[in-house]
Amino acid sequence: MSRTPRTLRRGRPELYSDYAADQAIWNTPAKRWSTLVLLALALSLPWFLGRDLLGLATLVAVYAISGIGLNLVSGYAGQISLGHAVFMGIGAYTAALLGGSPQGDIRGFELDLLIWLPLAGLVPAFVGWLFAPIAARVRGLYLAILTLGLLFVGEHVFKEARWLTGGSGLGRKPADPVVLGFALYEERTILGTEVPAIGVFYLFALLLLVVLAVVARNVARTRQGRAFSAVRDRDIAAEVMGVPLLRTKRLAFTLSSFYAGIGGALLTIVFGFVTPERWNLLLSIDFLAVVLIGGAATISGPIIGAAFVVLMPRFIETFAGSLPGWFVSTAVGGGGLLNVFQLQRLLFGVMIVLFLVVEPRGLFGVWIRVRNYFKAWPFSY
Amino acid sequence: MSQTMTAASMTEEQGGEVLTLATRIRRFAEQDPYRVCMREKRFGIWQDITWADYWDKVELVAHGLYALGIRPGDRVGIHAENRPEWLYADVGITALRAITMGLYPTNPAPEVAYLLQDSGSRILVAEDQEQVDKALAVVDECPDLEWIVYLEPRGVRDYDHPKLIPFEDLLERGRVHRGSDPDLLARMAQDAEEDDVVTLIYTSGTTGPPKGAMLTNRNVSFGIDILVFSGGLFDPSASQDDVTLSYLPLCHVAERAATVWNNAGAGVTVHFAESIETVQANLKEVQPTLFFAVPRIWEKIAAGIQIKMYSASRIKKLNFGLWMKVAAFIGAQRVANDGNHTLLTRLLYAVGYPFLYRALRDRIGMRKVRAAGSGAAPIAPEILQFFFGIGVPIHEIYGMTENAAVATVNRRGRVKLGTVGEPQPGTELRIDETSGEILTRHPGVFVGYWNKPEQTAETLAADGWLHTGDVGEWVDGTHVRIVDRIKDIIITAGGKNISPSEIENHLKTSPFVKEAMVIGDRQAYLTVLIGIEMDTVADWAQRRQLPYTTYRDLTEKPEVLKLVQGVVANTNERFARVEQMRKFRMIPKELDHEDGELTATQKVKRSSLNDMFGHLITDMYGNRTEHAGGDLVDVHPSRDFVPSHEQED
Repeated sequence: MSRTPRTLRRGRPELYSDYAADQAIWNTPAKRWSTLVLLALALSLPWFLGRDLLGLATLVAVYAISGIGLNLVSGYAGQISLGHAVFMGIGAYTAALLGGSPQGDIRGFELDLLIWLPLAGLVPAFVGWLFAPIAARVRGLYLAILTLGLLFVGEHVFKEARWLTGGSGLGRKPADPVVLGFALYEERTILGTEVPAIGVFYLFALLLLVVLAVVARNVARTRQGRAFSAVRDRDIAAEVMGVPLLRTKRLAFTLSSFYAGIGGALLTIVFGFVTPERWNLLLSIDFLAVVLIGGAATISGPIIGAAFVVLMPRFIETFAGSLPGWFVSTAVGGGGLLNVFQLQRLLFGVMIVLFLVVEPRGLFGVWIRVRNYFKAWPFSY
Repeated sequence: MSQTMTAASMTEEQGGEVLTLATRIRRFAEQDPYRVCMREKRFGIWQDITWADYWDKVELVAHGLYALGIRPGDRVGIHAENRPEWLYADVGITALRAITMGLYPTNPAPEVAYLLQDSGSRILVAEDQEQVDKALAVVDECPDLEWIVYLEPRGVRDYDHPKLIPFEDLLERGRVHRGSDPDLLARMAQDAEEDDVVTLIYTSGTTGPPKGAMLTNRNVSFGIDILVFSGGLFDPSASQDDVTLSYLPLCHVAERAATVWNNAGAGVTVHFAESIETVQANLKEVQPTLFFAVPRIWEKIAAGIQIKMYSASRIKKLNFGLWMKVAAFIGAQRVANDGNHTLLTRLLYAVGYPFLYRALRDRIGMRKVRAAGSGAAPIAPEILQFFFGIGVPIHEIYGMTENAAVATVNRRGRVKLGTVGEPQPGTELRIDETSGEILTRHPGVFVGYWNKPEQTAETLAADGWLHTGDVGEWVDGTHVRIVDRIKDIIITAGGKNISPSEIENHLKTSPFVKEAMVIGDRQAYLTVLIGIEMDTVADWAQRRQLPYTTYRDLTEKPEVLKLVQGVVANTNERFARVEQMRKFRMIPKELDHEDGELTATQKVKRSSLNDMFGHLITDMYGNRTEHAGGDLVDVHPSRDFVPSHEQED
């Protein structure tokens, strides 16, 4: 038992007298305050943005959830996975089956969100758990190919299981986000202002993101989280130190799939409709981009990355009009060198290349650089 | 005035008890048992130690030592780096009315033997395998030594020696003994007297073997009253809200005052640095409010700032350059104003604070420093001005072991650079008219050297005046300027008296110079031996893409010789013609305590340098150029040590 007067603590941010403070996520006042301000800003968006931009904001939150999931397995544990889209798909269809309404041949049980949302995470997690022992046998390039195989199997199953997915090219409606009779996708008056349906859902997605991000951050700093990093940095060395490889990789895949499933379920609700073709390689690559551009092995990284990947196409679309017509055509059938969609994909690719070469730690790494510049002030190191 | 009143009341015997370090700690433990009073960094965390913990450990150590046979008046040695156990042992020994004898962690085995023999220590508290090995190597030469208590069992656990006992066992014996005789310390406290010798502080001994100065309870209480309660060390006086970092050797009187006395007197929270190498990092974490350092540390901090700036980015360099110019102005203004801010400098400082000063002070761990001190050796005025400029006012203090570190201090707002300040309250100070020696008299003056009545008689006059051995002079009738140690003063062949330390200190303001020894006694002109600062010169050489291998190789590079020549020339400009150095030679190795070139307090032992590097000196005065060095025009490498790549051309 000891008492430390305030005068002995104030203004000494680096003096830690217990491990809890030393290891805290928000270990400095600056981090605490900036997080609170950012959160308040994010919470206030439904009262400022229009329907269209709120849709994008929701997409950012959903992409971030899935991105964090992929980061757990690929960023922290270093197990490259191209199969992320499949786990998202499994989550999406679990949700649609349990929470959606039946349409002809397509099954639906119209259950409550409190049932389908957890299961939308748990079912993919179980599949991930089953899949992990196979994935744990290989690494690097082989693992990438192996997960690619999983992707093809998944795509085939999704296309054929008409009772579940509506079949190739047709698709089905997603689950209804209703909690104990309270619809989350419905226009509401909050704090005296009309908030559009997507705004309400945005708040829900944001809440989920915050909870899941904090959980992931905490996982990352547990013994298991450190085991992830150990496996990533050198699996043989990790095993020699007593880190069980199979169990660690399995946990990484399971956790990652859980996040993917939740993300997939929410994604379908944002889109309002879902076809089996959506869960393809391109989507997986989108999420690899979220992780790489945002910053591998961080939690803030995928959130920044999600914002970047979701908002950049819109940004290009908005400013394509100011580019010369011979270069980019905004109208369909225009005579430019590229159309807007091509420009988007092209820039996307260029971005990934640039980040890998220039700043492998992603946008978060850029921030770290800026922060360190001022942290080292007035010196350079 | 009120401060001296409280100080006076603190010395009075309260409740029939003499106020010892032990009773002070016990009172804190009774008044505020759960308040943090010390922190020690272990396993990456600053572990809290409360007053109750502190006193409990003191009791256990005292009872344990008693159980091992220590009785009032016995000597107990402590051979450890700064750590809480040092204080537990020190205060525990005091509680038993025994005598603490501190050893420097750098003391080599022969010196350990001398100190143990001379003091007749019955028990030695040794920190770890390193110190235990030293003690075991000489244990047969020390017949009085009965036990060696070790703090760190690592490496020592397997030793099979009948005199070894782990610290844990000592505490356990203490626990058992406390159960059987719980009133022991209360009885001891009742019996304690003002004239009890509480500690032997061995003086560093630049000449001859170290002498153990005996300080009594009265001396220590006076030291605490003046240094702690009357702003003698830090002004305004230290309080419970203050934080310090303990890193200088505790067996030195200055650090004893800064750590043990500040803590026991005012309840200052002490943080123990992990080691001398981590002081910079620890400072940044702890951000002390009070900081005492020796000139060498201040020089190192100032040089560290310069070195880090060399490799900073362009914008940061510009920012630094601009605001350091302003700081130089502020420093000069404050120096001209007795250390006070003027309206203009205050304003300039406020503007520069967010741009540079705040961050800079934060990085060097001085952001919260409200009072800083420098002592134990003379410091160059340029260094003080530099720190005044960036907002860390350093007040030079003068004192010595023999007067419980109480003599003079530069008071806040009455600073005169180049002086050691005004006499402390309650201190009589005079300067002998014929010899110029400074004499002090006050209740803190020691009672004599342990077992050395002759040396005591030389130093301590019968009427209570202490001969400090320093030559001084009055400045403006109020402040005292130290000229030099009497025995160091150089008398040239021309009959001129020259104080070498002033010249040496100016040389050492260069970040590239670590050691300088000016020579010229009974010679026609002055010369100097220079030792470079490895870190900074290595960095300098790297930036010039100058390849080198060892310290000696670097030292003897023509480019480095040119660099040193520049420093010497620069210093010469500041001094009169007879005080200018004509030649210099490089010291080919880093000076070291173990090799007998430095004292435990890192002071150069002139006599041993004269012996070891006599060939360099004859090289200069014999007008030869066999060894690396130069004069004011040319430089030349060593003849016997020509780097291979230069032989080719």
